[in-house]
Formats: sequence, C-alpha cells, structure tokens
Amino acid sequence: MGGAWRRHLPAIVSAALAVVVLALPLAVSDRYLLKVFMFVGLNVITVAGLAVLFGLAGQVSLGHAAFVGIGAYACGFLTARAGWPWPAAVVAAVAIAAAGGLALALPTLRLRGHYLGMATLGFSMILGIAFVEAKAITGGNDGLSGIPLPAFGALDLDPATASYLLVWGTAVLVLLLASGIVRGRPGRAMTALHGSEMGAQACGIDPIRVKVTAFTLSAALAGLSGALYALTVGFVSPTSFALETSIILLAMVVLGGTRSLAGPVLAAVLLTLLTYVDAILPGLSKEAVAFLQDWKGDIYGVVIVAVMLFAPAGIAGVARTVRTRLGGSS
Amino acid sequence: MATTKRTGGRILGTIILVLVAALSIAGCATPAGDTSGGGAAPPKEPVKIGAVLSLTGSYAGLGAPEKNTLLMEVAAINAAGGVNGRQIELFIEDDATDPAKAQAAAVKLIEQYGVVALIGATGTGQTMGMRGDVDRAGVPQVSVAGGTVITAQFDPLVFQTPWSNSLVVPFTLERLKKDGVAKIALIADSGGFGKDGIDVIKKLAPDYGITVSSEQLFNAGDTDMTSQLTKIKGSGAQAVVMWTAGKEAAIVASNMKQLGMTVPLVGSHGNARREFITGAGPAAEGFTFAAGKVLSPDQYGTGSPEYKVATDFIDRYTKQYGSAPDTFAGHAYDAIHIIANALGTVDEVTPSKLRDAIEQTKGFVGVGGTFTFSPTDHNGMKATDLVTYEVTGGEWTVLK
Repeated sequence: MGGAWRRHLPAIVSAALAVVVLALPLAVSDRYLLKVFMFVGLNVITVAGLAVLFGLAGQVSLGHAAFVGIGAYACGFLTARAGWPWPAAVVAAVAIAAAGGLALALPTLRLRGHYLGMATLGFSMILGIAFVEAKAITGGNDGLSGIPLPAFGALDLDPATASYLLVWGTAVLVLLLASGIVRGRPGRAMTALHGSEMGAQACGIDPIRVKVTAFTLSAALAGLSGALYALTVGFVSPTSFALETSIILLAMVVLGGTRSLAGPVLAAVLLTLLTYVDAILPGLSKEAVAFLQDWKGDIYGVVIVAVMLFAPAGIAGVARTVRTRLGGSS
Repeated sequence: MATTKRTGGRILGTIILVLVAALSIAGCATPAGDTSGGGAAPPKEPVKIGAVLSLTGSYAGLGAPEKNTLLMEVAAINAAGGVNGRQIELFIEDDATDPAKAQAAAVKLIEQYGVVALIGATGTGQTMGMRGDVDRAGVPQVSVAGGTVITAQFDPLVFQTPWSNSLVVPFTLERLKKDGVAKIALIADSGGFGKDGIDVIKKLAPDYGITVSSEQLFNAGDTDMTSQLTKIKGSGAQAVVMWTAGKEAAIVASNMKQLGMTVPLVGSHGNARREFITGAGPAAEGFTFAAGKVLSPDQYGTGSPEYKVATDFIDRYTKQYGSAPDTFAGHAYDAIHIIANALGTVDEVTPSKLRDAIEQTKGFVGVGGTFTFSPTDHNGMKATDLVTYEVTGGEWTVLK
C-alpha cells in the first residue's frame, strides 16, 4: 500500500501544483507579478522541449531562441497583419517552427557534440539576420507591433489574467505531453540512444529518426512559446531572440538535469525569476536587486560551471542520488 | 558507455563555458548603476514619475548618462521646491535592453508605484514594447529613443525627445541639393539607427532630385570599411552620406582618406560626439553633419534663453559627473523637464490631464532644441532647430 502511494506521489504532487498555478490569479491581482509569472510559463514551455532534446536524447542546441523567434514572428504577423484569429495563428506558428526544426535537423543531426552545437548556433545567427532584414514580415529593427491581445469569446477576463491563464494552461498541457514522452516508448528510445547509439540500433531503434523527432518536437514547443509571447507581450523585436536567450535556455536544462522534466522546469522557474527577483521578494533592497541584475550573466555562468563540475546531472541527478540513498537505507 | 557520456558532458561544458564567458564579458561592459530612486525625502504627497532605462545590456552606454541626468535634474527640481510645492519622486527601472523586460518594468511602475508619467525607454524596441501597457493604463510616455517609428506609428500618449531621422534627413538632403550634389552613396551600420536612416534617405532623395548610386552596410564592431568604400568610389557618387551613431564612423572617415577619396563625407546627428574627431584625426577635417545647436551654444546668441539652458546643463553635468554630457543625456534632460513643466500647469495631477498638458508644450527650450508639440506632432522640433557643423582644426564650427 505504501508502495502504491509512493508510486503515485509524483502524479499527485504535479496535479496539485498545476491546480495551484492555474488558480493563482484568484489570489494574486498584481499585474506585474502575473506578467512575471507569465514569462516564467513561456520559458517553461520552451524548456520542456529542450529537456526532451538535451536531457533525454542528448542533443545540444545553441539556437533554440531562433525557433522561439520563428513562432513569435509567424504568430505576430498572422494576427496583426493578415488578420487571422489567434488560435489558427498559434497552430500555424507551431507548424512553421516545427518545419524549421525538421529542415535543420535532417542535414545536421548526423553531427554530434560541439559540431551540432555549432550548426545550431549558425542557424540562429542566420535567422537573427533574417529577422532584421525581412522587414515586410518582421518590421525589421523597429519590431512588429500592434499584435492584438487574444480574445476569449464570452469570457471577459482582465488582460493580465487572461494572458497568464493562456500561457500556463498551455504550459500544463505541454508538460503533460512531455511527461508522456519521457515515460513512454519515445523517451526510452531517446535515453537508449543517448546511452549508446550502437546499442540502441541493435534494439531496433532508428537513431536518425529519433533524433529528428526530438529536434522537431523541441522546435515546435519553442515556436509555441514564441507564438504565445507574441500574443501576450504584443510586440516582437529581433533582439529578444539572440544568442544570449539560447544560452539562458540551455543553462536552464543543464541546471535542471538530464532524464527529467521536473528538474529543468524547476530550473526554468528559478533562473527566470532571478531576473525579476524584486517581484517575488518585494522586501529586497534596491541595491541587492541592482546587484543581481548587473551580475545576472555571471550568476548564470557560475551556476553552469558549478553544475558541470559538481553535479553534471543537475538538480534531477542530485534528487535521484538522494532518493536512491534514502531508498537504500530504509 | 560511461566514457562517451563523460566526454559529451565535457565538450558541452567547454562550449557553454566559452560562451558564458563571452556573454559575461559583454554584460560587464558597464557593471555600474543602481536602480535606486532619486530625490530628497519627500515631505508629503510627491508626484511619482517612472523611468525605464537600459542600464545593462547592449544599450547600457546610453542608459547610464540618461540615468545620471534624470537623478541630477530631479534633485535640482526638488531642491528648488518641486513643482507647485510638490516634490518629484523618481523610480528608475532597468530594462536590460529587452523589450519584454521593459514592458514588465512599465507595468511595475504603473501598477506598483502608481506613476503618473513614464520616461523611456532608452531603445526604440523597448519603447515600442511598452506601448500596449501604456495604452491600457492611459499613462503618458516620453521616450528618449530615436527611432522614427515611435512617433510615426502615432499614439496620443507617446512623445519623443531625440531628433528623428525624418527631421534630420530632409535637412541634410536640402543642404546637399544646395551644394549641387545629385548623386550620393550611402554607408550605414546595420543596426536600427543606420538602417532607419537609409530607409528615410532612399524614400526622400527623389524629392530633392538626388539619386543613390551605392548602398553599403557595415556591422557594429567592424574595423575596416575599405571594401564598401571601394565600391562607393567606383559608383560615381558626388558625396558619401554616412548614417551611424557608432564609433565606426571614425574608421569610415580614415578609410576614405587612405583610399584617396576626395568626395565629401556627410554624417548625421549620430556623429555629434567628440570621439569621432579624436578617432578620425586629420581625416575628420571637412566632415559635415547636421545636429542641434547644443554643440555650440553660442549659436543661439550669448545671453539667449537657449544658450543659458544648454550651458547651464553642460556646466552642472560636467561638475557633478566629471565629463561633459553627450546627446543622450540631453534627451533625458528634455524628457524630465517637459514633464515637469506640464506638471506645473495642471490643477490636478492625473495621467490624462498630464498627457493633455504635455501636448500643450509650446516653445519649451530644451537641450536638444525648442519643443512645440501638437495633437499630430509628438516629436515637436523643427528643421530650424538644426544647424550644419563642419569639423575644422579639430573643432566643430557652424556652416552658414
């Protein structure tokens, strides 16, 4: 009986957390807080995809911000310029980002390690230029503005609450989907591949197919995050999808750890909130906030270095070790 | 199996280490700056004004002088008794040169602090990112960013203090036409300011009977423009028009001299910086550009109000911060004083009354020029506020 309780514990905790997160607007009316938590949700969606790609399939992408950008521009353009209803625009944006991911994955996923990292880096550089140059669609350096806030039919919600619910409602669904992948057959195939490509092949797993699937899926989720960014922020500018964003996203998965969804999600929450530390700790002195802001890049760096040195499997790895030790002693 | 994993981890670790180090160095360019609000302890009911500035990120170099200026000017206004007896309480938020962060900062200033007006942002993208929430809250915004789009994509709530390209370009083209130039070549940085300038020039040049024979771009950080200039040299242009606010302007001037190009180099208000003259040395001689009169306050006539405003600001800033203010400091000066002046005219301080009062600004003498807003013009300056400068003997002299 105790065993069954233990087995269902993660699911129960996750469900309880989802309820708390979705009910938050009932308790919090501060729009700044809602906006900050919404940014957290946007990163959680992207990081869920990266957790599958990096943590499970072991593929490095230094260019995921570019897929976020594709989703944001596609959704922004379709709603603001082409007059599409927002749900259709989101679907189209995800499809375009996934197609971009597929197009990049097919030729490059034969590469490994830092070669793959370099290829994705190059891809994001090319797209960075494209975002500036394709003025007719992206608005160039001036950015794409005038994206209407999503309307929810008869539901008359405050825009901050509506945006928050849209992002976190999607994030919860994405996490459900991702946990299905992590636990299911595709996740096991990816883990096997990460462990030993030849071993996986011997078990009947097609490595290219699995890698391409993982990459396309993560690009689609990044595109989804971007589409929601465009709808909720209402403005898209090329500077938002530069290399720095890709690195921060990768830092979240590295800190979060491999073979886990909870770890990267927790890391995404923590590292996103670091930028907005004043939102969660209102008592913090302005000097402390300014210090954290100034040294943000260095804090990310130190965190990654420390993780690489002392806990290469990240938060998830530490949690697994602790669990094993506890399990072994009882 | 374990070994492969370890190696993979090491490789990834190295990649990330290198990249993070690079980012940290970039981010450390200006580690200074706190986001503390300014002003003396307010006795009662201060007027709250918010500012969203880029104090970190790629525009940190612009945000820092803006912040210095706002702190200094708010302290000065408060020391002089405030506006209608009320002190100004200034809240500065850093947007880290990120439009989403700028938007969050705007929401924070509006919702948590209840500011009645916003200054900023430093950059065009950040300014545009704030718009949705500015519109929803109905709070007036005075931007210190230069993008034409800010007031071209008109919003009744949004004002702008820097020179926009749509003002400086016609002035520059007019001058070229007067000098008998019919064919120009363009060289600009690929960033927002340069591209915006090129677009405006290409749109307006035909109105002045001027054709563009070559269009060349360079990236921020480039150290050699010889190939671009060689193409320009062969294009038969009678003048080279350069649009950039970056330090690369000095390289363009030097390279032109090295290539033996004798056609004149014409710049923009983005080159109104001392670094251009020191950087280009002898190659700066004969360089002309249009800018406000602040570089040479004598232009206003010694003793005129414009002269007093400009020299007073330059003197106080230099005394407090140890170096002369640049044009960005001037934009922030104009923003805070336009708001303070408008505050002085309203009977009750509400965002909507303040907006109306800002729009009523007439003949306000600032550092960047003389501002007169109207329901259709939220940039407020006229071509008569501009003069053409020439670099002679390492100094700016005004061309008549």
